[in-house]
Amino acid sequence: MAEKRSDKIKYGLLKAIDVSGFKVFDPVIRLCFREETGKQCKEIGKFLITPVLFVIGCLLIWSAVAPRHKTKSGEVPTPARIVEAARISHTLDRREDEKEADFQRTGNARTATIGTIAALQAEKEQLSSALKEELATTEERVQAKLDGSVAPVTGSIEKFNERSKAAKATREAALLALAGQVVTRERSTSELLLAVRNHNAASESEAETLKKLKTRRNEILGDPPTELLDAQLASNAVANEVQHLKKRSEWLQQGNRSVKVAAWNKKAQDAEAQLTAATEAGAAVKAAKNVVKFEKKAGDGAEQEYPRTVTVYFQLKRSLFTVFCGFLMAAFVAIPLGIMCGVNRVVMACLTPVISIFKPVSPVVWLLIFQIVIGAFFLPDPEKHPLFLFFGALPVVSSLGVNPALIFCACTVAMCAVWPALVNTALGVSSIDKDHLNVARVLRLGFWSRLFKIIIPSSLPLVFAGLRISMGVGWMVLIAAEALSSSDGLGKFVWDEYQNGSSHSFANIIYACFVIGIVGFFLDRIMIFLQRLVSFDDGATAV
Amino acid sequence: MPFLEIQNAKVGFGPVSNRTEVLNDINLTVRKNEFVAVIGFSGSGKTTLINLLAGLQKPDSGEVLLKGKPAGEPGPDRGIMFQNYSLLPWLSVFDNIALAVRQVSPAKRKDRKTLEEHVMRYIEMVKLTPARDRKPHELSGGMRQRASLARTLALDPEVLLLDEPLSALDALTRGDLQDEILRIWEEDKRTVIMITNDVDEAVLTADRIIPLTMGPAATLAQEFEVDMPRPRDRTSLNDQPEYKRLKREITRFMMNLNQEARELRRDTGISMPDLKPRDFSLPVAPPRLRRSSAA
Repeated sequence: MAEKRSDKIKYGLLKAIDVSGFKVFDPVIRLCFREETGKQCKEIGKFLITPVLFVIGCLLIWSAVAPRHKTKSGEVPTPARIVEAARISHTLDRREDEKEADFQRTGNARTATIGTIAALQAEKEQLSSALKEELATTEERVQAKLDGSVAPVTGSIEKFNERSKAAKATREAALLALAGQVVTRERSTSELLLAVRNHNAASESEAETLKKLKTRRNEILGDPPTELLDAQLASNAVANEVQHLKKRSEWLQQGNRSVKVAAWNKKAQDAEAQLTAATEAGAAVKAAKNVVKFEKKAGDGAEQEYPRTVTVYFQLKRSLFTVFCGFLMAAFVAIPLGIMCGVNRVVMACLTPVISIFKPVSPVVWLLIFQIVIGAFFLPDPEKHPLFLFFGALPVVSSLGVNPALIFCACTVAMCAVWPALVNTALGVSSIDKDHLNVARVLRLGFWSRLFKIIIPSSLPLVFAGLRISMGVGWMVLIAAEALSSSDGLGKFVWDEYQNGSSHSFANIIYACFVIGIVGFFLDRIMIFLQRLVSFDDGATAV
Repeated sequence: MPFLEIQNAKVGFGPVSNRTEVLNDINLTVRKNEFVAVIGFSGSGKTTLINLLAGLQKPDSGEVLLKGKPAGEPGPDRGIMFQNYSLLPWLSVFDNIALAVRQVSPAKRKDRKTLEEHVMRYIEMVKLTPARDRKPHELSGGMRQRASLARTLALDPEVLLLDEPLSALDALTRGDLQDEILRIWEEDKRTVIMITNDVDEAVLTADRIIPLTMGPAATLAQEFEVDMPRPRDRTSLNDQPEYKRLKREITRFMMNLNQEARELRRDTGISMPDLKPRDFSLPVAPPRLRRSSAA
């Protein structure tokens, strides 16, 4: 019985990984249940360990090659730098979380946090000053060492300079003497010309040598030793932390929501006191106006949210939301239209020119068209448009800041993602087994039950295959659209980093590349999973 | 009064300019509760004939009559069992049959329990109870055919049209299902028209056997009356002289048909004019000539 239960678990797991498209892990699970261990180990070695080794090999080659290629944005970042970029992004996000919490803290929690922050800050400041000192000594030491190694080169440069100056002077004098003889016709002019040429050649070679010496000196100077870099990094990290703690205490003490609200309430009370104490009409009106004003400010303040700085996680969330909106729009248009195309050949004939002409159009063009066309709907004041008021009222979505740019991006995604879904749905419906339609005829199914009981179920696998392609296309298009339209999202993140040009930019761009790739991969897997759920013939899906 | 009738039906395929006659001059009369087998070679238009009866195919001329009235559009009154099962692959056996039941008797649509009882009755009839929740692709060929039979029976048709129901099965499974079909028919008599290409099967099951001549433009030939007592037992059947005689005669008839068709085909073959193709290969130009033409 126990044996049977373990078998059940095993086959359940195997089925799960099969449906989710992770067939590679099949032997691992079989190995866990001790099934033909030798064979499973071989399978794992072939199809799991070898690919992993291959990827590691690629990473190693990348690490080795990247630093050799100098670009105008610095050298190509290595995998280690990318991981560092990811870590920094994560830290930034976590700090935003902390600050947001600080902004929202009230009462005792707030005072307690102020205390701990102050203690922590003092500690970190001490550490920071220690590290700064260390950095200074390291700098001195490095400088001294550098001076030691640079000094001989500088010396030789100076010596060479002197020598070449002297040589030049003697050559000039010789030329002058020769010229004097030429003037008196003792020597021919061609001799003088030859001498001048020789003089120039000598000067050039001297300049060349000097340049070489200088390059060597610059090389020594321009290559800061790793110990100095490490010390700088350590010091900067702690200084950064101190900065963050300072910001936090600021948010706790002045920027805090409850503090602000309390201040406004206090002012309102004062104004009220003035109102009750007022003896003349003008003062009473003024005080009453103040009461109303301060009360309103207090009310607004209580509803205020922390203005988060945009981090890569926020961009990711927004991108996912946008692609989801676009995908839904595409599906809502493509599936009914596709079914109509598949059912009725006249509809197909009508839509064929539309599909063939608009399918190859670039997403960039669609984005521009949508910005103009759909932008007109949101005039004159996009903020007050019912669509955005609606999104603003939704619980999670409101934090994403839905704006016209997001709608344009979603529409662009929809426009580009609609075609594969449409074509595949039409194909699925039109290639339905004739026997199944005959069954429907014999059963005398009406149009709607034929549609829902025969046509749609039978075409679902191809519909989902189309939706899967649509999702992939949509995700690719979205990044470009966001970059172009400056709608917050991963595309904008990449574009901003490219424009930004800080020392981390390049690493951040490649980090974003991986984030986009991995998210795309999981979106695809979700679609495969859905496709497998609806496919009735256990048909294999391409990976 | 004949129960089901075909009068002078003619069916062809293709455009008017190049029409291929499949069936020509088909006349068939079936009595109530009769088991008729139509036997023919593959490609002779058997499936077209059954589609004609079911209403899935319209005759070019002639008529199909059910109880004296034009049969018209296909419907549950003529339950057809398709050659390749045609079970809906996304539905389980139960749901496949339930779809038919719901469609035929809307009264049962309301009550889940009566519906289930009704469906289970047919599933039990074809002995598929253990596989009721399986999908068609998880079933063997024989089980699929049983499910298909159950679905057809669930339509409660007046005429049962079986289109080579067992031709895709292996011999043992086929024998098993033949017995099943016979048993069900004897328990619950109704009119059956079965298409087959198996003489043994026809003799075992049918009251009358009608051969279909070779296509194109096939027609129904002289029928054979099977006058053997029922229920028939396949094991003892082999010893009956009547069985042997029928088998022999039908087989001979069919073989002759085949022979005839071959001869016919030889005669009607388009005669080719006695021509020798002209030689169009280019003469090889002498090199000097080519050079001068290039210049």
